Amino acid sequence: MSGPTLERGINTLREQIDAPVAAFFNSCVHCGLCAEACLFYTETRAPEYTPIHKLEPLRRVWKSEYTFLGRLASAMGLGKKVDDALLEEWEPLVYDSCTMCGRCSMVCPVGNDIAYMIRKLREGMAASGHAPGGLIAATRRAVTIGSPMGVKLPALQAQIRHAEKECGLKIPVDVEGADYLCTLSSMEIMNFPEYISAIARIFDHAGVSWTLSSEGFEATNSGIQIGVSEIAAELVGRVVKAAERLKVKAVISPECGHAYMAIRWEGPNLIGRPYGFKVLHILELLDELRKQGQLRISGKESQRLTYHDPCQISRRGGVVEQPRKLLNMVAEDFVEMPEAGTMNWCCGAGGGVSTNERADDLRLKVFNRKKVQLDAIQAEGMVSACSNCRIHLEDGLEKYHMDIPVLSLTETIAEHLVDKTPAGEGSS
Amino acid sequence: MTAISNDTEFRQALDRLDTIRQRVVAARFVEHVLPLSNDERLAMVTRTAARRDAPDSELVAALGSARAATFDSHTRCGSEGDWSEQAGYFVARAAAAAVTPAGQLPGGSAWQAAVASRMARTCESISQDAAADNPANEEIEAQYSILSEFLDS
Repeated sequence: MSGPTLERGINTLREQIDAPVAAFFNSCVHCGLCAEACLFYTETRAPEYTPIHKLEPLRRVWKSEYTFLGRLASAMGLGKKVDDALLEEWEPLVYDSCTMCGRCSMVCPVGNDIAYMIRKLREGMAASGHAPGGLIAATRRAVTIGSPMGVKLPALQAQIRHAEKECGLKIPVDVEGADYLCTLSSMEIMNFPEYISAIARIFDHAGVSWTLSSEGFEATNSGIQIGVSEIAAELVGRVVKAAERLKVKAVISPECGHAYMAIRWEGPNLIGRPYGFKVLHILELLDELRKQGQLRISGKESQRLTYHDPCQISRRGGVVEQPRKLLNMVAEDFVEMPEAGTMNWCCGAGGGVSTNERADDLRLKVFNRKKVQLDAIQAEGMVSACSNCRIHLEDGLEKYHMDIPVLSLTETIAEHLVDKTPAGEGSS
Repeated sequence: MTAISNDTEFRQALDRLDTIRQRVVAARFVEHVLPLSNDERLAMVTRTAARRDAPDSELVAALGSARAATFDSHTRCGSEGDWSEQAGYFVARAAAAAVTPAGQLPGGSAWQAAVASRMARTCESISQDAAADNPANEEIEAQYSILSEFLDS
C-alpha cells in the first residue's frame, strides 16, 4: 500500500460515493435533527459538531463530481475544493467528535445513514494522511504485531495461566472441532483478564465446547476505526482463517463494541465472501444458554443496577433484548436509563475516540450526557458489555465524582453460577 | 502453625475472617507487590488498610485515592501496552480492593486483593519475558505464607 497523499485521499473519497451516499446527500433537508441526536453537539452546542456538517469533505467531492450544477461550477472555477487545509481542519470533527455511534442515523427524517457516511469519509481521511496519530500507531501495531495494544501470544499465554489458576479450569487453545472460537480484545487481555476466567467458568458450567486460537485471538479491528478497509479485511481475515482451520461452528465476539461490528456485520463484505460459520456476540451465546436452561444461577445483585448499551452492540448490532434477559437473572433491582436500548446515548469514547489523546478533554466533557442519564435513575451500579465503554465510563464517573461501580455482564453472570457440585440448586 | 497449600484452603480461610481482618490481610498482600508500582498514593492506602483501627472516613479517602490511581494507570484502548506499567495498574486495583467496603466484591475484598496482586506479578513476568509462570507461582506461595502467619499471629 502506498503512502497517504491528498490525491489518494480524494480518489478514495470518489470511490466511496456509491448510490446510498449520493442519495443521502441529495435527500438532506438541512433540518438539524441530527445535531440534537449527537452528544458532541448537545453537550457543547458547538454548531460544527452537527453530524451532517462533519461530512463536508465527502459532500464537496459528491457535489463537484456527481451533480450537474457542481460540475458546472467546477468547470467555471467556482466549486469549493477539497485540499489538505480542509482535511486538516475536518480531522478533529471526523475522528475526535464522532464515535460512529449511529444515533444521528436513527433520527434523520429522510433516512440518511450518517454513521455509514462517516465510516466512508474516514477512508478518504486516512488515505490522505489526515488521521489521528494514536489511531495510526494502533493500526500499525494491529497489522505488524496482531494487536493494536501490542499484545503478543506469550502475554496471552501468561494471562491464560493466571486465569487457569484463578478458576481452576483448563483454558482450551487451538482445539480443532470445538463448537465455539472465542476471540478477545486486547483491552480484556491487558485490563480485564478476569473476563477469560469468567467465560471459562460459564462454559464449563454449561458444558460448552470452546477454544481460543493462538493465531486469531484478537477481536478488535483498528482498520474499521481509522477507515482503511484493506487493513480491516486483513484483520477480519485472520479470525476467519483461524475459525476455518479449527473447524468451529461459531466465532464469539467478546465484550467489545466495534469488534462485533467488524466481524459480524462488516466482515463478509470486507473479505468478499460469506463465512462458513456463525458469528455471535458473547451476550447472544449466553442468552442462548439461558434459554436452553444451561445457566443455573444463584442469588442476585441487590444494588440498583442499570445497563449501558454499547452502541455497536445494541443500536448498530441488534443485541438489545439479550442483555436484559440475562440481567433479569442476576439483578434484583434493575432500572433502565432514559432512552435506553437502541436510542441509548454513547459513552463518548467509541469509534477510536478513546485511542486519540487529543480528544480526551472533549470525550470527558460530553460524558455529562451519561451523568444526566444516571442522575435520573439514581443507579448504584452500571453493567455493560464493552471493555472500552467500561474503562471510559469509569474514567467519566471519576471525573464527575460519581461513586458507581461499572461491571461486566459476562463476569457478573459468572459470579452467580451455581457451583457444579453439589448439583440440584439454583434456577435458570 | 497453620498450613495453607492450595487456593481452596486459602479462600476458605479468607472467608472465615471478619471484615477488619480481611482488610488487614489484604493490605499485606498488596504490600508484597507494592514495589511494582511507583504511585506513592498506594503506599498510603496500604498503610491505612493495614490499621485495624482505621476510621471509616480514612478508609473512604483511601478508596478514593486507590481508584484514582487505578484510573491513572490503566492502559488506554489502542495505546501500546507496557506490561511493567500494567503491573502498577493491578497493584492499584489490589489496593482498591483492600479498602472496598465488605460485601461489594465477589469473593470478598481480601480474595480480590490477592487475585489483583497475582496479576501484578504476572504482568511483571510478561514485561521481563519470564519463561513459564514461576513469578506468579511464587506470589501465590507468598500469599499462602502471609495468610498462614497472619492466622497464627
